[in-house]
Amino acid sequence: MARIETAFIEDMKPFGEDVAAACFNCGTCAAICPLVSDHFPRKIIRYVQIGAKDRILEHSRDLWQCLHCGLCTQTCPRGANPGEIILSLKRYVVANWRRS
Amino acid sequence: MYNPKDIIDVIGANVRMTRNPFGIPKFLVNSWHQDLHPPQKGEAMLFTGLMYQFVPYIETSTDYLARFEDSDWSQYLRYARYMPGYLSGLGLALLTPGSQKRKYNAILQNIVRILAASRVSFFYRPELDDYSGVLLYDLGDQDAFVQHARYVAAKLKKAGIRKLITVDPHTTYALKVLFPKYVEAEFDVTPYVELINLHSHNGTRRVTLHDPCFYGRYLAVSDTPRRVLSNMGIDCVNVRNSGSFTSCCGGPAESISPKLSDQIVRKRIDELKSTGEPIVAMCPICLGNLRKAGANVEDLANVIAAGING
Repeated sequence: MARIETAFIEDMKPFGEDVAAACFNCGTCAAICPLVSDHFPRKIIRYVQIGAKDRILEHSRDLWQCLHCGLCTQTCPRGANPGEIILSLKRYVVANWRRS
Repeated sequence: MYNPKDIIDVIGANVRMTRNPFGIPKFLVNSWHQDLHPPQKGEAMLFTGLMYQFVPYIETSTDYLARFEDSDWSQYLRYARYMPGYLSGLGLALLTPGSQKRKYNAILQNIVRILAASRVSFFYRPELDDYSGVLLYDLGDQDAFVQHARYVAAKLKKAGIRKLITVDPHTTYALKVLFPKYVEAEFDVTPYVELINLHSHNGTRRVTLHDPCFYGRYLAVSDTPRRVLSNMGIDCVNVRNSGSFTSCCGGPAESISPKLSDQIVRKRIDELKSTGEPIVAMCPICLGNLRKAGANVEDLANVIAAGING
């Protein structure tokens, strides 16, 4: 079971735009993503919202499947910029690797 | 899929040591200008960012990555970072066919001819033309990107360069958007396509353009190449996913997962082929990836240069 840490969105601020909270999990990003893979990126954005750090690190390889093509950001009805959230998560994970 | 950490470590180490992601000495990569002698004085500097020059080496390296992806051998990639970048880079340079290098150099030579024919005042100084570091940014290695971008920007500033003409969408995005945002380096950046001022009424051709994501969405300049082609008498037959809704060619995934990249590019090729018209690309990554998957694709610069000569 994932532990919920609502402060995680604050921890993410140094790594990119603070937009994950705007997402209402409609799944448009997952539907338009060329990867069409296991609710990516919707699921991982939900992990950011609930602060499921362990899940993010466990699924970190999925982040690098992202093509950074920007279709999700173009179509997001909430302006949550899913592409930028994924890029921020990559930075977070890389920083985590460097620390450990 | 390769472990992203292994790929990021190798690319980061290569950029630190040699200023390019493959570790290839710059004099071997950047030779396109040697026989052409582009102008050395002018208003704006032509900045290639070395992306077209890298494509033959990307093809060679991803060919090897594709052979070992998901095999037991893939785990040994982690040791590649311990090999000096210039050594692996020299090996890669030797494995890459000269014919491929000449093919991509010819695109840059055509861009110079197009700018000259459009009466654009430009110059080229190879010692100031560096890789932008955009792959480090895309991979999330922000510290390495910022460090490299500072180096590139400082060289340009020291030489008094203010205006840049770019040739590919990734370098354009890096210089236009990322450099001001992350290293506070502002340049007046214009993609060469926006400077083309050529007219021809001899052409009756039709083509299908593959819009790169960074021109279609991030920089929103999809109308420009269509206008340029129209002025040359060439009509564009659009596929459904074009302009700001273009589909990715899969190229950005080619280092982490050649298999994934191949799946995505094949879908895109099917869509592009549906018009029955010749396919034209304007990004070196898209061009290389579409060609690698077997599509018959021409670069925009070659199409326009053929219009000048014809």
